[in-house]
Amino acid sequence: MSEKGEVDLTGAKQNTGVWLVKVPKYLSQQWAKASGRGEVGKLRIGKNQGKAEVEFTLNEDLTMIDSLGDKPSGVQAPRDHPFTMQTVGGQTLAVFTETQSERISLEGLVVQRAECRPAVSENYMKLKRLQIEELSKPVRLSQQLEKAVTTNYKPVANHSYNLEYDRKKKEEGKRARVDKQQVLDMLFSAFEKHQYYNIKDLVDITKQPVSYLKEILRDIGIYNVKGTHKNTWELKPEYRHYQGGEEEEKETDD
Amino acid sequence: MASLGGSSSSSTEYIVRVPKNTSKKYSIMAFNSGDKVNCSSWTQARMERDMSNRRMYGVEETEEGAAGSEFGKKQREESRRKKFGIVTREFKVEDQPWILKVNGKAGKRFKGTKKGGITENASYYIFTQCPDGAFEAFPVNGWYNFVPQAKHRTLTAEEAEEEWGRRNKVVNHFSIMLQRRLREQERGPDDDDEEGEKGGKKKKKKGGRGGDLRIHDLEDDLELSSDESDSSGGEDGDSKPKKKEGDVKGKGKKKKKKRGSDSEANEDSDDGDFEGLEVDYMSDESSSEEEVGEEKAKSNKEAVPKGIDEASESEEESEEEKQNEEEGKEEEEEEEGKKTPVQTKKKRDSSGESDTSEDSDIDGEAASALFMVKKRTPPKRGGGRGSGGSSRTGSRPGTPSIDSASTSNTLRAAASKLEQGKRQVVGGSSESPAAKRLKMESSSTAVTTQSPAPSGKSTPQPPSGKSTPSSSDVQLTEEAVRRYLIRKPMTTKDLLKKFQTKRTGLSSEQTVNVLAQILKRLNPERKNVNDKMHFYLTE
Repeated sequence: MSEKGEVDLTGAKQNTGVWLVKVPKYLSQQWAKASGRGEVGKLRIGKNQGKAEVEFTLNEDLTMIDSLGDKPSGVQAPRDHPFTMQTVGGQTLAVFTETQSERISLEGLVVQRAECRPAVSENYMKLKRLQIEELSKPVRLSQQLEKAVTTNYKPVANHSYNLEYDRKKKEEGKRARVDKQQVLDMLFSAFEKHQYYNIKDLVDITKQPVSYLKEILRDIGIYNVKGTHKNTWELKPEYRHYQGGEEEEKETDD
Repeated sequence: MASLGGSSSSSTEYIVRVPKNTSKKYSIMAFNSGDKVNCSSWTQARMERDMSNRRMYGVEETEEGAAGSEFGKKQREESRRKKFGIVTREFKVEDQPWILKVNGKAGKRFKGTKKGGITENASYYIFTQCPDGAFEAFPVNGWYNFVPQAKHRTLTAEEAEEEWGRRNKVVNHFSIMLQRRLREQERGPDDDDEEGEKGGKKKKKKGGRGGDLRIHDLEDDLELSSDESDSSGGEDGDSKPKKKEGDVKGKGKKKKKKRGSDSEANEDSDDGDFEGLEVDYMSDESSSEEEVGEEKAKSNKEAVPKGIDEASESEEESEEEKQNEEEGKEEEEEEEGKKTPVQTKKKRDSSGESDTSEDSDIDGEAASALFMVKKRTPPKRGGGRGSGGSSRTGSRPGTPSIDSASTSNTLRAAASKLEQGKRQVVGGSSESPAAKRLKMESSSTAVTTQSPAPSGKSTPQPPSGKSTPSSSDVQLTEEAVRRYLIRKPMTTKDLLKKFQTKRTGLSSEQTVNVLAQILKRLNPERKNVNDKMHFYLTE
């Protein structure tokens, strides 16, 4: 699949030029609310006595600021935003895109950097104040309770969990010894999956009493103080046949 | 799109659109302008995420299933980690760096690391102009700084530290990478084929002699250091006299390797150690005090059990070279006063010339002590200038083994002689060496004395020393001795320790004589404590 990872260089070849514009947060929030084709405003580029002037005007319908909480903010976003133009000197900036299917393509090079600044106005000041108010609210809040909380821990004769456990135990009963051959079969199939087993896990798997199981294990396996934490059981070398997962079962003579 | 005309300014208006549902995510690829990256010159490029940090998925040891795995290992590991509160950060693919390869295998490689926090306070948008004249703005999702990756070999951190320690000595910097390449060659020949092609002509030149040539300029290398440093110093830039360097450097490599490990064992090379070092083959002597002291201390300890012949053999090679250098230095050292014989191991190495030069210089002051230590120089160096030298060499071989025994004997002999109150001149010949030995024992570590030897030289001394007990400024007075003995019982050795030559300004011999005199006068009582004769006074 040479597609994956291959970068589509058409943008670079055409030397497509783009602008990189830094936009304030509130403005990008307003843009997110745009409807239809996504028109958000107008950009006016002019040449005033040799200097380029760029200004962005936000559309009327996008000036309503939503605030957190219920009450309407009553604040309007400023509409005029002159752009401050900057050079791309110290860096070569390229733009690339990534699709969901992980295809990467180079869109172009940045030829102009700009910063979108709001024109200072009453509206803007109000907006700022609103923002500051929201930010200054503490994240955590201490609240005094009238009554002490008594619903958490109540003394109980016996926890429901414990009752469950006891019932389960009774129902299962003591583990019964089954035929040795059966146990061996179970063990071998278990050891097919993993090489090292804890005795507890084996008891769990085979459902045999520990002592009985240990007897059997002593025949076919070795107890391993492996150097890693726990002491584990593994099959004796002559019984195992690991080859990347395959194992043959050996018959024991009973 | 409306265009408005103004009087002095002309402006055009464009509609700005922010498309709602784009499947493409925009990111910035930033290159440093110094790297002179021209995207239009790229013929083809490949870019992938760098997944090398994906170790978090416990890929460490156990394979899944069957051999080597444990039942429930994963769960156990996870619960263990939770218990200890180890929180492993999630491996997010979007945050991983990019690897960009331009123009195929032989082209450039870049690594793009994500720059954090660009979407926190402000958002970046990419404004592109559409064919219909309107602008479309796309939000930027991530910013990646791309840096070119070096293809040439670099040193690892440990290697770099090593080289840093040797920076004052290594003149030929090309050899550093060459060495490394050759080392790698020994380990894996596959890798080196690639490296061999790169590096251009330099590699070819050095590669030719790579097999048997090892260039290095370490003066610490005792043997052959002079030859090597000279020749390699002269040829740093060229590679012409290959042959000549071949053998020299072949040997050099072994030594270098050995020295490498040795030096690590011996001393740390601090930066300051080598400042002011003269980059010469004589550097051994001129290097820092500690180094010298250390080496000598170490070697001296070994020297004691070694036989003379062994010692001579081991240092034979270096003797020629060291001789000249050491001569001058030894004289300095001697005159400084009596240092521990430890330091004289180096002198020991050198020829009898240096020995005898010492003789002539020192009129048997503290030198006797040094001489005694110096007996190392083998008999073959016997032909010396002074009389002392010749007599000494004859007796030297015999003495080492006797020494330790003789010292204690001579102590007792000294003590007994004091009792008997013999004339010191008479006893001087036997006593002064003994007394000297007293002094030696007290102040030196390995004493290898020669009993008769100094006597010849030193006989003139005692009378003079005796007649003027220079009790002038410090310590050695009858009063002082009396004070000591009243306070507690002391052996002659202890007493001598109290009146060290450095502090009293007397030579060791003189001190001994004067002390003996004083003791005679005081006539202290004696008792035996721990088999040692202690003197004491009661007032």
